[in-house]
Amino acid sequence: MTGTEQTVVLTTFADAKDAYRAKDLRQALYDEGEIVMADVLVNLHGEEHRARRRVENRLFRRETFDHYERDLFPGVIETTVAPYLAAGKVDLVHLGHELLLNLAALTAGIDRPEGTAAETERLYAYMMRFVEGATLAHSTQDKDAQRVVIGQALLDWDAEFLTPSIERRRALDPADRPRDVLTCLMEHADELGLTHEVLRREVAFFLLAAAHTSATAFVRSIDHILGWIAEHPEDAPKAAGDPLFVQRCVHETVRLNPSSPIGKRRALAPVRLRSGMEIPEGSSVIIDLMAVNRDPEVFGPDAAEFNPYRTPPPGVAPFGLSFAAGMHVCIGQDLAAGVVPGNDVDPDNHLFGLVTGAVRYMFTCGVRRDPDDPPVRDANTARPYWGRYPVLLGGDA
Amino acid sequence: MSYTASVDKTVCISAGLCVAEAPEAFVFDDDEIAEAVEGHPGLSDEALVELARSCPSGAIRVLDADGNEIELT
Ligand code: HEM
Repeated sequence: MTGTEQTVVLTTFADAKDAYRAKDLRQALYDEGEIVMADVLVNLHGEEHRARRRVENRLFRRETFDHYERDLFPGVIETTVAPYLAAGKVDLVHLGHELLLNLAALTAGIDRPEGTAAETERLYAYMMRFVEGATLAHSTQDKDAQRVVIGQALLDWDAEFLTPSIERRRALDPADRPRDVLTCLMEHADELGLTHEVLRREVAFFLLAAAHTSATAFVRSIDHILGWIAEHPEDAPKAAGDPLFVQRCVHETVRLNPSSPIGKRRALAPVRLRSGMEIPEGSSVIIDLMAVNRDPEVFGPDAAEFNPYRTPPPGVAPFGLSFAAGMHVCIGQDLAAGVVPGNDVDPDNHLFGLVTGAVRYMFTCGVRRDPDDPPVRDANTARPYWGRYPVLLGGDA
Repeated sequence: MSYTASVDKTVCISAGLCVAEAPEAFVFDDDEIAEAVEGHPGLSDEALVELARSCPSGAIRVLDADGNEIELT
């Protein structure tokens, strides 16, 4: 940062939403993360972003989500959880990563021919390298050395997972290709001018954007629900039996715990927000999501509390701005968290989201804390992540 | 039906929420960019404002009968 550069911090909901929608505020969250993030969707701006997003949005439509949620995901959830259910216990943090990575791989288009837990472990190790790459700005280690390791991980992952997935799709009749990000990008590569390197990073980014965020939301949602039903035992049956209740809990969890505590933008031109706030050209804009999603003007005096029965005002989503807004609004929002139900919701045709589906399934398996093995925070980060979260499954609850 | 809606085509990212929620009032053009149908059939003024508020990219603008822009944030 130069001496003349200014940082503007936004803490109100209205300013944040306005800023996310401002055309002259450019993505800046992944500066220094170019080893993974160069030219990926979330880092593009203007016409380049629109062109890519429009193509990808054709996949991220209601019909695809219905297909994932009803046809593809339930089987994966059951198969992934089965061995742990048989064992009667699991570490939720580990299960969350395994499960949500399996679901994210389906969406991204990364085939897993072996379908084993060991294969998921390898994919997981690659994905964590990509997360490290995307967040390199915050690293305290030797960044150049990290770049070398992450660059090599991308190549190894390409050889082991991506290229075989591409080859399998090429060999299929177009009508038989799976509906996923990889197929979509392959079919539009010429139109979008995508090189193999950009395609590689884009699919890697989808993998991390889908898996890491939703795995964290999975563990935190279960933690919040367990806490809620300890205080409100009358709601206990709803955790397994009422998917609309579980979806409300997921939304409330995501509001209180955005995947990144901040959004970041850079002003390409002077911007004036509706509140009158002036953002000078060249300045950095920090969107303080922890404050924004707890704005008492919007969410009430108990905004910092978990309350699945909270009703936000019109025009405000129950998860606040945790999926952002504007051009970079999360493309996987409905896939992860479902559609926000209206008053006339029909549960048979409603989209609940993959986190809701996975969380609810755990309650049908009798998930509960292990009294002899309490959960522990991740000591490697200042952020509120769980390091281990042992739970019991099945048997007598 | 006094309000009018328009879509800023340079902002629309084809998320398709308006087309899915109100298929009579919003359609995709040949480039899959949303377009408002005149008179927003099937949507009350209130429902139109609500839908415009939930457009992910903020591409929908709503004007009242006097041509004043409705505040959406
Ligand atoms: C609970 C789960 C999730 C949360 C909290 C979340 C959050 C976010 C946020 C805050 C952004 C905007 C980042 C910014 O502008 O700085 C974003 C963008 C994005 N997310 Fe998600 N996400 C989740 C799940 C998913 C899933 C399941 C997918 C993929 C299937 C996904 C794919 C993406 C992509 C591709 C973008 C970039 C969109 C663009 O730039 O146009 N996310 N997400």
